[in-house]
Amino acid sequence: MQILAEAEELPKTTNIKTQLVALWTSAVSALILLIAFIAFPGFWPPMSPRLTADEVASFYRDHTTWIRFSMVTFNLCGIMLLPFFCVVVVQMKRMASQSQAFAYCYLSAVVSGATLFALSDVFFAAAAFRPGRDADLVLLLNDLGWIVFIAPVGMILAQNLMLALAVYLDKGPNPVFPQWVGHLSLLTLFAMLPSACAAVMTSGPLAWDGALSFWLRNGAFATFTVVMFFVVRGAIHRQAVVEGVAR
Amino acid sequence: MSATVLSASGGEPTDAVRADPASKRDLWIVFWIFPIFFSLFGVIFVLLARVIPPPRPDVTTDQKVQWFAAHATTIQIGFAAVCVVFGGAAIANGYVAYQMKRMSSGSTFAYAYMGSMAVGTLPGLLLVALCFLAATFRPREPRITALLYDLGMLSFNGSLGCFATGYLAFAIAILYDKNQIFPKWLAYVSIWQIVTEVIATQMWVSSAGPYSWNGSIAFWLAVIVFGFWLNCQGIFLKFATDRQPAGTRPVD
Repeated sequence: MQILAEAEELPKTTNIKTQLVALWTSAVSALILLIAFIAFPGFWPPMSPRLTADEVASFYRDHTTWIRFSMVTFNLCGIMLLPFFCVVVVQMKRMASQSQAFAYCYLSAVVSGATLFALSDVFFAAAAFRPGRDADLVLLLNDLGWIVFIAPVGMILAQNLMLALAVYLDKGPNPVFPQWVGHLSLLTLFAMLPSACAAVMTSGPLAWDGALSFWLRNGAFATFTVVMFFVVRGAIHRQAVVEGVAR
Repeated sequence: MSATVLSASGGEPTDAVRADPASKRDLWIVFWIFPIFFSLFGVIFVLLARVIPPPRPDVTTDQKVQWFAAHATTIQIGFAAVCVVFGGAAIANGYVAYQMKRMSSGSTFAYAYMGSMAVGTLPGLLLVALCFLAATFRPREPRITALLYDLGMLSFNGSLGCFATGYLAFAIAILYDKNQIFPKWLAYVSIWQIVTEVIATQMWVSSAGPYSWNGSIAFWLAVIVFGFWLNCQGIFLKFATDRQPAGTRPVD
């Protein structure tokens, strides 16, 4: 996006610039998170819930360094996705034909949901902190890490429900997001919903290492976030054009 | 956007910014999530997960293991359902904060309410689900299962400050408000909610009797006040939605 030279010093330009900075902060963090995701030995393949306590304990002993690297990176960069979702809030508040209630509910869900991501890596990393701990305790930390990482999808579902409804009811002449963003948001919601069963199932596609609970859930969230990056960038651009900041 | 026209709405003074078209559909959608979510919450926590009425704190390790064994299936169904629907709490609290932003007292305590409730969702609602799901996930050494029992119940009933802060923000905002979004007496009920949270501190040092996590004072008195307060909040949230002029939004 090219900021117009004459708009460079205007106060309203700073609002466009901070949204772009937030967008790119999260984009860089997402790339680092992808590296951490690839580096976590427990994801390739995802660890089975049927491993015994001794198998889990020896897994943490054998892969201590990579588990620490990936989980500390998750810890450091995970919440840096938050600025991106805050840009979505700012754009939702621009929707002309509604009262902004969806935007505040979305923000509330984003904040609560982020706390879960901040929690799961603590369990994994704590298990790797003293790999010599009793095997049952390593198993407990591993179970808690996996359950927190995969199962509590409710906040993301709430976020995507609010976003989809906001998009569908944004009927003005200049909608902030295209209508298909609503469909994508709902599709992601339904793809992630079944993984709540991962807190109960120990085998099959709904277990935390299963095709639905691990691959579909995480694939859907990653795809949604990447697509939304371009959608949100487009929305910021349209805002900048409307406000005479860019062309 | 260009469609947003600055003009006085003629209704309540804070609703300064007009939005078109004048539909309140979005407000009613988020409003109805409030009663739907809290009804589900009640059904799940009372009938399925069995944490209301609370299991006893004054039992042995083996009795805790037996309790999980006896209720494993309903705990798993209930708390897996919580993993799906607990986002409703964020929507319900977000909408209360939204209506608080329409008060003449400004956004400060609306944001304080939203923030403290968003923080409280993890220790006060979800952590018990995670602990009990981990406890019922596989057989473990009894002392570990008993740890998850205590951890779950203490975080669920003993997360006091997040909610006390939320109730304080709600009460102060109502008392200063001149737009009458919520009635003044609801602020005083909120203050009683804070009192029950302060009394509930005793459950951290008392493992049996009226001040324990299933006690008549630390738990049941608090639940009665909470139930009354929550129903009033829901009813007056509906009235506030009724009275909000169509096509308006709170000022930033």
